[in-house]
Amino acid sequence: MKRLSFVGILFITLLLSCSTEDDVNGGGGDQSGFDRKVLLENVADNIAIPAYENLAARLNSLQSSTTAFTTTVSVENLTSLRTSWKQAYVSWQAISFLEIGKAEEISFRNFMNVYPVTVADIEANISSGSYDLSLVSKQDEQGFAAIDYLLNGIGTTDEEVVAVFNEPTTGANYRQYLTDVVARMVQLTDVVVSDWKGAYRDNFVNNSGSSATSSFDKLVNDYLFHYEKHLRAGKIGIPAGAFNNVPLEDRVEAYYDGEFSKTLFLANLNAMQDFFNGKHFDAATNGESFKTYLEYLNRNDLSTLINDQFDIIRLESAELDDNFSAQVRTNNTLMLQTFDNLQANVVLLKVDMLSAFSVSVDFIDADGD
Amino acid sequence: MKFNSIAKGAFVLGATLLLSCSSDDDTTPGIVEPATYNFTRNNESTVSFSGQTTRILMAEELAAAFLDPTATEAELDAMFAHQQGDNDFSDADLNASDKNILSKTAASRDFFFANTVASADIKADYQLWIANQVSEVFPNWNTDATAGQAGAIQEAGGGPVRYVNAEGVEYNQLFTKSLIGALMLDQALNNYLSSAVLDEADNIENNNNGITAEGRNYTTMEHKWDEAYGYFYGTAADPANPNATIGQDDGFMNKYIGRAENDSDFAGIAADIFNAFKLGRAAIVAKDYTVRDAQAEIIREKASEIIGIRAVYYLQQGKLGLEAGVVDYASVFHDLSEGLGFIYALQFTRRPGTTQPYFTKTEVEDFITTLVDTPQNGFWNVTPATLQTMSETIAAEFNFTIEEAAN
Repeated sequence: MKRLSFVGILFITLLLSCSTEDDVNGGGGDQSGFDRKVLLENVADNIAIPAYENLAARLNSLQSSTTAFTTTVSVENLTSLRTSWKQAYVSWQAISFLEIGKAEEISFRNFMNVYPVTVADIEANISSGSYDLSLVSKQDEQGFAAIDYLLNGIGTTDEEVVAVFNEPTTGANYRQYLTDVVARMVQLTDVVVSDWKGAYRDNFVNNSGSSATSSFDKLVNDYLFHYEKHLRAGKIGIPAGAFNNVPLEDRVEAYYDGEFSKTLFLANLNAMQDFFNGKHFDAATNGESFKTYLEYLNRNDLSTLINDQFDIIRLESAELDDNFSAQVRTNNTLMLQTFDNLQANVVLLKVDMLSAFSVSVDFIDADGD
Repeated sequence: MKFNSIAKGAFVLGATLLLSCSSDDDTTPGIVEPATYNFTRNNESTVSFSGQTTRILMAEELAAAFLDPTATEAELDAMFAHQQGDNDFSDADLNASDKNILSKTAASRDFFFANTVASADIKADYQLWIANQVSEVFPNWNTDATAGQAGAIQEAGGGPVRYVNAEGVEYNQLFTKSLIGALMLDQALNNYLSSAVLDEADNIENNNNGITAEGRNYTTMEHKWDEAYGYFYGTAADPANPNATIGQDDGFMNKYIGRAENDSDFAGIAADIFNAFKLGRAAIVAKDYTVRDAQAEIIREKASEIIGIRAVYYLQQGKLGLEAGVVDYASVFHDLSEGLGFIYALQFTRRPGTTQPYFTKTEVEDFITTLVDTPQNGFWNVTPATLQTMSETIAAEFNFTIEEAAN
C-alpha cells in the first residue's frame, strides 16, 4: 500500500512539473485555470502596500517620539516613546513575512527584528560611538529589539533608564545610538515602500506564471519560511526549548519589556491567517488568496482545516501569560502545546497546500554546524 | 527530455523496489547474514574496533580545541600526535591510549605504502593548519575580520561568530572536514577494506581454518574488516545497529552519512553502506571472498559519493550566499571552508574497481588554489562562476547532479 501510493505521488509530481515547463511567467494562469495574477494584485494593492505604508507611518511617529525624548529626556517622554515603539512593533508583525522583492534584496527582516540582541556589542558601539549598522554582523545590535533594550533594559526603573540617557558624559552617546537605530529603520522601510509603490508593484503582479522564480511560487515559499522559522520557532519554539530541550526565557521577543511578547505573537499569527484568507489590510473585505485558490482547486476541505488550525492556535494560546519569559519559567508545557499547535499547521501548509498548488519548497533547514 | 526523466525515475524506483523486495529472500548460499552487526564465536562477540573509536574521539577533542584561543601550538600538536600517557585530552581513556591521529593520517596501504612523499606532505598540511590557527587566528580573536585581515566575523541574524584567517578560511572546518578523508575514509576504503590488508600474510588460510589471532576471539581478517567499520560507526549509540542514530554520533563520517540519508535524493544510502559492511563481514565468516570484495566496492562507491555530494553542496551554498542582495560573508566563508575540507578529502576517495581516487592529489591542490588564490584575499574575492564551474567538474565524475547535491 505504502509503495503504491508513493509511486502515485511520484507520477503526479512528475506530471505536474512536466506541464509547468510550458507555462513560464505567462498569462497569469496555471494548468487549473486559476488566475494567479488576480491573487497577486490583491496581495500588492490591498495587503502589501497599505501594510507597509502603515509601518512607515508608525516608524515616523517613533522617530518623532525619539526626537522629543532625546531633546527632553524625561519619564514622561520615555513613556510616550515606548508607546510609539509598541505601535510600530505591532505594525511590523502585519507585514514581516513578506520578505520579497526589495525587502529580500536588502535583508529587511534581519535588519529590523533580530532578537535576542547582543548587549555587549550594543554597549561597545555606544561607548565607542563608532559603528556601521549596515554590516550583516551588526544585525543583532539594531532594530526593534535594540530599542527594547535601550528603553527597557538599561535600568530597572523608569528613573534609572532616564538617568542613563541623561548622564552628563555618556548620555549623549546613548541618545545618538537610539536616534541612529530608529533612523535606519525609517530609511530601510522607505526603500521598501517606495519600491512597492514604484516599479516593483507591476513586476510583482505581472510575474504571474508558475516557474520557481514566479511571484506566486516565491510568495508561498516566503510565507512558509516565515511561518516555520519566525512565527513557530522564533516566537515560541526556541524560548520553549522545543529544539534542544532547554527552555530559554531570554530568547523571547521584546524580552526587556517583559509584557509584550504575547501581543507580538498574536499580531503576527493574525496577520498570517489574514494573509491566507486574502483579507485586505485593516479592512473587513477579503480578496483572492491561498484560501480561494484552494477552493478553486476543490480543496475546501484543506482550506477549512488550515483555518481551523489557525483558530485552535489562537484559542489555546489565549491561556499563555502576556510575558512569555514568565510562561517558560512557570509552565513551559503550555508553550510547548502552542508549539505543537503551530507545528500541526506546518504539515497542512507545507505538504498539502504546496502539493495542491504544485509549488516546490525552495528553502531547506540550515546545516546547523 | 522530460518524458525520459519520468521513465528513468520510474525505472529507478521500480528497480529500487525490486531490489528492496528481493534482498530479504535473496541470501547468498552459505552466507548467514545477521540482522545487525553482531558476530560471535563460541557465544562471544568477535567484533572489535576500539582503536577507531579512540581516534574519532581524539579528533573530536582536537577539533574543539581549534576554537580555544588560549590553546598553544604545542598543546594542539600533542593532541594530533598523542604519546601514550601524556595528558593531552580531557578524557583519561584517550590519554592512556597508545593510539594517535597523526600516524593514521594519509597512511593507507593502497595509497601511501609506496608514496611516503605524498603522505608526509599531507601530514605537514595538518600541522601547518594547526600552527596557522595559533599564529594567525588566535591573536585576532577579538579583531573584526576584513579582506586580508584575520579575525572574527558574525553571521546574519545574530548568528554564530566565525573565526577566519586573512583569506576568510576557517582552519577548524578545513581540518575537520578534510580529516574525514585523510583519516576515516583513507583508513577504511584504502586500507582495511583492501585485499592487500585483508589477505595479508596467512590471513586467508587462518580465516579458512578458523584460527583466531593470538589471545583474541577473532581472525585477523575479521578484525581488519571491523576496523574499517569502526571508522564509520565507532561512536554509534548502538554499534551493532548504527543507523538508528546515524548522523548524531560524531562529527565525521557518521554525521555525513546521516546528512546524505536525510536528503531525499540519496535516501537509502545509509542502509546501502551498512548492509554492505554487514554482508561483507558475514562473507568473511562464510569464507566467501568474492562476495566480501563486492561489498568493499559498494562501500567505496557510496562513501566516496558522500564526500563528493558534500563538496558540491557547500560550493553551491557559498554560491547562493554570494548571489544574495546582502552578502552574509561569515556564512559564505563557513560554507566554503567546509567545502574546502571536503574537496581536500576527495583525494582519499576510491573509484570502485580501481586503485584510484575520484580526484588526484594534484587535482585537489588545483581546486584549492583556484578557491583561495583569487588572486588575493581568498574567499573575499571568489566568484559564483568559479564555484559553479568547480561544482560541475566535481559532480561530473560522480553519479549525482548538482541539483541533487545542492538541496
